[in-house]
Amino acid sequence: MGPAVDGLRQTMEEALGNGDTRIVLNLAEVPMIDSSGIGLLVRFLASTKQRGGNIKLVQPNKFAVQTLRLVGVLNLFEIFDDDDAAVASFA
Amino acid sequence: MLAEPGSGPENSALSELLDLSMPADSEAIAAVVDTITESLAQLDVPEQKRLEVALAVQEALANAVVHGCENDASKQVRCQLKSDPNGRIVIIVTDPGPGFSPELLSDPKRSENLYADHGRGVYLIRQLMDEVHFEHGGNELRMWKY
Repeated sequence: MGPAVDGLRQTMEEALGNGDTRIVLNLAEVPMIDSSGIGLLVRFLASTKQRGGNIKLVQPNKFAVQTLRLVGVLNLFEIFDDDDAAVASFA
Repeated sequence: MLAEPGSGPENSALSELLDLSMPADSEAIAAVVDTITESLAQLDVPEQKRLEVALAVQEALANAVVHGCENDASKQVRCQLKSDPNGRIVIIVTDPGPGFSPELLSDPKRSENLYADHGRGVYLIRQLMDEVHFEHGGNELRMWKY
């Protein structure tokens, strides 16, 4: 919501603008994800997939996973325990 | 769920815990959510329930700001926290907008909506809370947590 989502949107737009489509997003410090954050994630997931890439999520907390599951988008994402494993999954 | 004004469990026996107003500005939402969450902690509401209520309140306030007030910060959104004698809490979010028809909202879990960038707020509120009513034509949301 608000500044947090705006910051993520800007970062993701810059990444896509630079041609980066294989993205690892570490959520370890994110206490909760609201619908605006979910909307942003799935929109950029669609954008990266259209360009042959993907967004991999790292360490979302239990409540974030619950929220993603509640709205039916959890299965759209691959989830990893650490950044290295997420990066390696692109190889 | 649609209901007549005054619906909800034991509505007449509610104690008012908080009565907050905020400008219709998305940056004002976090402070209200924090105040509600702190009150719930003082009531010994378990952490998982506090998280669920916090997210539901955040979604309700965001809807009130964006849809009810069209991001016009000169307008006010009201947020009340009440409890009943059994410890159940109700949060009432009111905006000055024209309201809406919640039954017209599409299901965000339908395959054609999965990648939509909006349309999940009310659905999420219904999933997180135990009872949800839209009243006065949709511009007052009453949501209960047992």
